[in-house]
Amino acid sequence: MNMRTALQLPQLARPTIAAMAFAALVMLAPSARAADTGPIKIGVIGEQSAIAGASLTKAAQLAGDEINAAGGLNGRKVEIITYDDHSSAAEAVRAFQRAVHQDHVVAVIGSYISEVALALEPWSARLHMPFITPGAASTDISKHVHDEYEKYKYTFHGWLTSAFIAQSICDFEHDVMVGKFHMKTTVIMSEDAAWTTPLDARYLECLPKAGLQVLDHIRFNPDTTDFTPIFNRIEAKHPDVITTGISHVGVQPTVQWHDQQVPIAMVGQSSQATTSSFWKDTNGATEGVVTATGAAPGVAITPKTLPFTEAYVKRFGVSPAYCGYSSYDDVYVIVDAIKRAGSTDPDKLVAAMEQTNYVGTIGTVKFYGRNDLYTHAIEYGPGLITGVVIQWQDGKQRQIWPENAADAVVKFPAFVKLPRASAK
Amino acid sequence: MRSLSRSRLLWGAILLCAAAAALLPWWLSAYILGILTVAYYFGVFAMAWDLLFGFAGEVNFGPTFLIGLGAYGAAILDANFGQPIVVCVIAGALVALVGGLLLVLPALRLRGPYFGLVTLVAVLLLQNFIVIFAHITGGEIGMTVPDVLSADANANYWYALAFLFVCTVILFGLSRSAVGLILQASGQDAIAAQALGFNVTKHKVAAFCVSAVFSGMAGAMLVFYEGAASVDTVISLSIAVQVIIAAVLGGRRTIIGAVLGSIFLILANEFLRPLGQLNTFVVAAGALAVILFFPDGFLGYALRGRQRE
Amino acid sequence: MLGLQIIVDGFAISSLYALGAVGFTLIFGVSGVLNLAHGGIMVVAALVGWYCAGELGFGTYLGTLAGVAAGLTLALATYFIVVRPIQRSRAIPSAETEIFVLTGTLLWGIMIEQGMAYLFSDNPVSIRPLIGGVMNVFGVRTPRNEVMIAALCWIVIGFLWLLVNRTRAGKVLLAASINPRGLTLLGFELSRVYVLVWSIYGVLAGIAGVLLASFLGVGSANTGPLTASAFSIVVLGGLGSVSGTLIAAYVVGYLETVTAYLIAPTLRPIPALILLVLVIYIRPQGILGRR
Repeated sequence: MNMRTALQLPQLARPTIAAMAFAALVMLAPSARAADTGPIKIGVIGEQSAIAGASLTKAAQLAGDEINAAGGLNGRKVEIITYDDHSSAAEAVRAFQRAVHQDHVVAVIGSYISEVALALEPWSARLHMPFITPGAASTDISKHVHDEYEKYKYTFHGWLTSAFIAQSICDFEHDVMVGKFHMKTTVIMSEDAAWTTPLDARYLECLPKAGLQVLDHIRFNPDTTDFTPIFNRIEAKHPDVITTGISHVGVQPTVQWHDQQVPIAMVGQSSQATTSSFWKDTNGATEGVVTATGAAPGVAITPKTLPFTEAYVKRFGVSPAYCGYSSYDDVYVIVDAIKRAGSTDPDKLVAAMEQTNYVGTIGTVKFYGRNDLYTHAIEYGPGLITGVVIQWQDGKQRQIWPENAADAVVKFPAFVKLPRASAK
Repeated sequence: MRSLSRSRLLWGAILLCAAAAALLPWWLSAYILGILTVAYYFGVFAMAWDLLFGFAGEVNFGPTFLIGLGAYGAAILDANFGQPIVVCVIAGALVALVGGLLLVLPALRLRGPYFGLVTLVAVLLLQNFIVIFAHITGGEIGMTVPDVLSADANANYWYALAFLFVCTVILFGLSRSAVGLILQASGQDAIAAQALGFNVTKHKVAAFCVSAVFSGMAGAMLVFYEGAASVDTVISLSIAVQVIIAAVLGGRRTIIGAVLGSIFLILANEFLRPLGQLNTFVVAAGALAVILFFPDGFLGYALRGRQRE
Repeated sequence: MLGLQIIVDGFAISSLYALGAVGFTLIFGVSGVLNLAHGGIMVVAALVGWYCAGELGFGTYLGTLAGVAAGLTLALATYFIVVRPIQRSRAIPSAETEIFVLTGTLLWGIMIEQGMAYLFSDNPVSIRPLIGGVMNVFGVRTPRNEVMIAALCWIVIGFLWLLVNRTRAGKVLLAASINPRGLTLLGFELSRVYVLVWSIYGVLAGIAGVLLASFLGVGSANTGPLTASAFSIVVLGGLGSVSGTLIAAYVVGYLETVTAYLIAPTLRPIPALILLVLVIYIRPQGILGRR
């Protein structure tokens, strides 16, 4: 075989491959940069396959469509671009980079997982991209903004921080578990994750003040599938109530609590239990479980609560999880800020967002300022946002706290042992 | 004569491609450069795997054990001790080396599927450790590192390209050297190689060390590109399989084929992104089809096709 | 009290592990294939069972049967679509066939996991217990369902034993695992034997998957860990040895349970993995292995 044929085949193969690769690159060529007259793009990064995360993107989509139906923003349409981060910090970072570099968004709404939000925060700082998380809870998110304001000012925390979530649950337990059921002791059971570290710290502080002695504090691996040893350990201490902090898990501990007939009530924050599909997911085992959430079906916190819930259920078939309410509001908050700033320039947008005073679906949205501890977190308090507490009863979520807005009486399944015969 | 000119041709091609690639930032958007950046690091993962499999004949089902050790080693060092990036990358490579040796030294004398199984179990062990020590590692979801190589897409691209180029030169050079030939012989017929007087085990361990160091370094570099490390991007089994597929797709035992395979795979992943959740499914299905119908891969097919004449 | 709790809790989970692993080792013993899509088959059976029982309204019993049927179908699909074509492929050098089969089944497992996540999301689902309520076992409050699951596992394993040791088809299977070439010389069709063993495997994995869904709940994210624990057990017990697998399943199950109760629930999977690594180094053929 002569030299020429010997050289030809490899010579043919390589240019072909190079050409293919180049063609692929050209085909992926970027779209035209959005001018000031094109649609306003907002990126939404969520966890599509998680019970709570799926609400995030859907609710944002709903908000975008509503705004467009009402004429858009000064004639410009709002375009919601969604990304799935598969519950992974690095994938969320890639999605964020894509949103900024490829899709040219003006702001990003992202994630209900604290680890993910914390991974995105530095990129929001580096790329000067306004970023708001509608569901994460870690106090570190807003602490970073407080500690290094000029760098991190692009990040906003659109949900209650863990500290306030814990406080609201303590307040609930004081009013109901201690006040009505005369309970005295509790065990804290939470998943080992970034959002529960400040949560548990606040629990340990405020539960005794609420009247409950903390007998034990269990942090379990979020990958746990068999909760029997955990429930057994809790039961051995004989507490009156279990105070929970779970988000990554939900179906399995609830189902096993029910099947094993653990005789202790479960109360606290269970993110997955905040959406209506949870009843079906647990085959009804969630009966009697109490969780904090943004809003309860059928109970209006603001004039916008019920219309949103109804529109969401009509379109998606299930009620929104807690982060759906805040995600929906966040789209409106961003659009409102753009209107007031008169521009989508990041620094002007951030300044406008700081001035937010917006009545949303779960309360009035205002952000803490530069001198507050949790800079850029939503303000907590009556008239602002406090969240509510619901209990699953007969297939429905019923609001049981704050008591002046409660529409049901607290009742537990028969296998739960209460300190005294059932209270009022 | 033929192999010499073929060798010169391949080296020439590598230089040409590198030069062309360096010019790309003037044409392409920051977004596509980002994809290529990841693809280049992936290329190093795949080349390191091919060295071990193609040349030492050892199937590593858990390349992500080494990659993950490097990535998390560097990440934890940076997040907790604030060392400069270079120090962290080197540390990551060392962690991968040590971890890899601890695992593999006893296993190299195993026969059959046992070596592969040990590497697979290693990935699971690492994954479990990451999840258990979540307060240090961020658990399943991941952790952030305070330092990144750069916030600029062009700069990141060039860092990745330079890294890929250096690794390619070293690994390809190794494969073409005397050591590489011995490795190839040990991989394909260990008994004959031993009969010829070569210490097969020593060479396999050396190959494993090289593979570990490069995998660990590339893993660490990837973390400093993204500013975050998660199980899903540097440890999970689906990443491990993608590394293997990239090398198989490009052509086993060619080293540079692994780079082509990686670029193709990462680009394909992007292309399929609009499919949303089905994207990984389609990539895995495609990879299965490659194994069934096209096991020699691009370069393997091209080069071997020539040999059969 | 705690000791009794551990014994009772460990027994149920070990029995489930045993059922799942026995199928896995049978496949290796008879056809030499390590099916890394094993977890996928169990998960599909569980999800299909849940879907038929709840969403389609078949009720728990029919739903369970549907799940097992799905397991059987998928196992056969794995054989015909993935394993057999690779084994027969002429493009792959015979020394590398095993590796390609492993990679192929791994990919198939990923496809299954992603497909299930797409159809059902990755949230764990649970099948309503066949029998509700709790009962008292040696003073330990145990869900009746858990007791029933343990009993069912052993009944199925018993049937398997009868099949392998008392029926003709079973003896052919045994022979195939010892000496396939000899079997063909006697005039038996090996391909029929393979179809038989994959079918049995599918039913076993299907039952294990459905029972697991009823006991702890199963989601597409369980695919990997289920495969991992199955092959940990199988390697520990000895690849290809059914009795070794049964013993190993209880060793692993109890090791995990004791760890969860006495050390920390977080560390549950670790001892089994470390044990596996030690076994591979010190005695690779496992407790009772022959290959």
